[in-house]
Amino acid sequence: MAIQLKSEASKGMALSAPATLYVGLLVAVPLGILIVYSFWTQSYVDIDRTLTWANYIEAFQDPLVRHLIVRTIIIAGLVTIATVVLAYPIAYFIAFRTKKQTLWLLLITIPFWSSYLLRVFSWKLILGFNGVLNSALMTIGIINEPLTFLLYNEIAVVLTLAHAWAPFAILPIYVSLQKIDRSLHEAATDLGCNMYQAFIRVTLPLTVPGIIAASLIIFIPTVGDYVTPALVGGSEGKMIANLIQVQFGAANNWPMGATLSLLSMLSVGFVAMLAVFTMNTAGRRIR
Amino acid sequence: MMENRSDKKIIEITGVTKRFGSFVAVCDLNLDLYQGEFFSLLGPSGCGKTTALRIIAGFQDPDKGEIVIDGKSMRDVSANKRPTNMVFQSYAIFPHLNVGNNVAFGLRKSGISRSEIDDRVSEALEMVELDGLEKRSAEELSGGQRQRVALARALVLRPKVLLLDEPLSALDKKLRETMQLELRRLQRSIGITFVMVTHDQYEAMTMSDRIGVMFDGKLEQIDRPEDLYARPCSKDVASFIGGMNFLPASLKEESGNVLDISTPGFGDMRIEINSNVSKHGPKLLTGIRPEQLEISAKKPSDYDAMAQGKVVDVAFYGESIHYFVGLDGIDEPITVAVPNYFHTMDYQRGDTVWLGVQNASVIDLGEIPDNMKD
Ligand SMILES: Nc1ncnc2c1ncn2[C@@H]1O[C@H](COP(=O)(O)OP(=O)(O)O)[C@@H](O)[C@H]1O
Ligand SMILES: [Mg+2]
Repeated sequence: MAIQLKSEASKGMALSAPATLYVGLLVAVPLGILIVYSFWTQSYVDIDRTLTWANYIEAFQDPLVRHLIVRTIIIAGLVTIATVVLAYPIAYFIAFRTKKQTLWLLLITIPFWSSYLLRVFSWKLILGFNGVLNSALMTIGIINEPLTFLLYNEIAVVLTLAHAWAPFAILPIYVSLQKIDRSLHEAATDLGCNMYQAFIRVTLPLTVPGIIAASLIIFIPTVGDYVTPALVGGSEGKMIANLIQVQFGAANNWPMGATLSLLSMLSVGFVAMLAVFTMNTAGRRIR
Repeated sequence: MMENRSDKKIIEITGVTKRFGSFVAVCDLNLDLYQGEFFSLLGPSGCGKTTALRIIAGFQDPDKGEIVIDGKSMRDVSANKRPTNMVFQSYAIFPHLNVGNNVAFGLRKSGISRSEIDDRVSEALEMVELDGLEKRSAEELSGGQRQRVALARALVLRPKVLLLDEPLSALDKKLRETMQLELRRLQRSIGITFVMVTHDQYEAMTMSDRIGVMFDGKLEQIDRPEDLYARPCSKDVASFIGGMNFLPASLKEESGNVLDISTPGFGDMRIEINSNVSKHGPKLLTGIRPEQLEISAKKPSDYDAMAQGKVVDVAFYGESIHYFVGLDGIDEPITVAVPNYFHTMDYQRGDTVWLGVQNASVIDLGEIPDNMKD
């Protein structure tokens, strides 16, 4: 028995070894390098390899960094909320209101058939000064001159990313809806709930795991996104990743870039954990 | 049997029909249920029992017909407003709520104070013998406990009618038998009308005041269990409830409420007309319950009719032994059930035996169905 257990354990280890190796090489090692870099400093073209907190102190004292991290978290939070709120009804429709589920799941992946950059650019075309939206609104006479608040701000970033991430939110929510036993909804009705109450008291709390999964999948990559803010965000829509990109690029200050990356990782981790905890607690309080 | 129903009609179902596409799931259902009775809808799987129950609950609208509960038409009353509650076949326990919150689910609406909810929940849990388990999570419950929670959750709302869809089918045999008696006792003590759907004839018979037997969407017979057993209205009902030997017969004379018939095997008999049967003809079908036949090695003297045959098979059931006896002129062997009095199996395969039966044990099942005519 013990021998068998041991061999099963080693079998398990052997089976997971490639994945472990892969994760080790591609996550742990780069992260280690990042941490080490963050304690070095840049002196002109060379890197000073004495370990120091200097970068961290500088980052904490710089109001721009603080401002960007807070704004990043707010924008990412807005993107997450917007995406989940938009995705939920779609997932609900696919799970409960149609028999052609495979077709609909295929349809929602269609945006992926074109490149991410193209999608961001097309939003630029839609929201721009002479864009589709403004021209349309002016043609039908709702406005006289182009709206300027559409592009180059947070709204544009939120809109573009909510669209880009939608399938990532729809899928986990769809899966969690799909798992719900239909008779639970009927039981709620039988016990006196109307459709809305049955949704709030039974369906919604049972999809909290799906909502959490969707939120994390969207929130975390949004924080790290620098293409969308660079293209449609203007100066108001700049996020921490843009600053990090500058450190690794034009500013040529890799240690500071590493420091900012780690700081944004830590704050994201903290906010994400807080959000998961809040959602879980909220889900459990519904009775 | 003691009856605890009153004469007050609590549900009146008239002409209810439900189609799914061209398939008729429930066909012209007419049924009155009385205050305080335990009624079972019995039938093979797929015959439309659940559909009928769901129409009463309001989860499905009938295509035709009307349902009146406690004098009020349910035509425009949605499921969440009906004075019925349901115990679902899967129990439908909310997995995200603990036992107490599951039971309290229907009580959490304006007008009921927190302390009243708590009181009623613990009272309901006591009723199903789960007192003190309020904090237990739904996922930690056994099958029997889930069933009790479902029951408490429905009964705590004090419905006029409790609907139960195969409430015991998910339990193992032993627990099922305990729960049959317990459910019956509970129903008697609270006096709420129970309407139970089941495909298990024994369950229906042990628990119900009355049983409605359903085939292919149609209600064939509504009767008390003992009447259903003694006077089934058709071959279908007769074979669905209990064991039955079918014996074709020819009608010689009909006088008053007796029939003089002649059967292959048992010869001439004089039997009583079955009032539940609608049609008689020259060719009749009769039935004899296996436990009402006598089997012996010597020709018995005190029976109205006798036949000699050969034992073709023996089946041991523990509390009884079934002998299958082939008779000349009858295709199917006759089944005889003998109580296992002395732990002995008196006859073996191949033995020649005599069968005896009293006229009173032979059930008139009316004109022979088309598929049995030769
Ligand atoms: N929603 C539905 N759509 C189509 N057919 C259905 C539906 N519900 C039930 N049926 C059909 O109606 C028949 C009766 O079903 P049901 O009432 O569940 O039977 P029972 O409970 O007696 O086993 C079955 O043949 C079933 O396939
Ligand atoms: Mg059923």
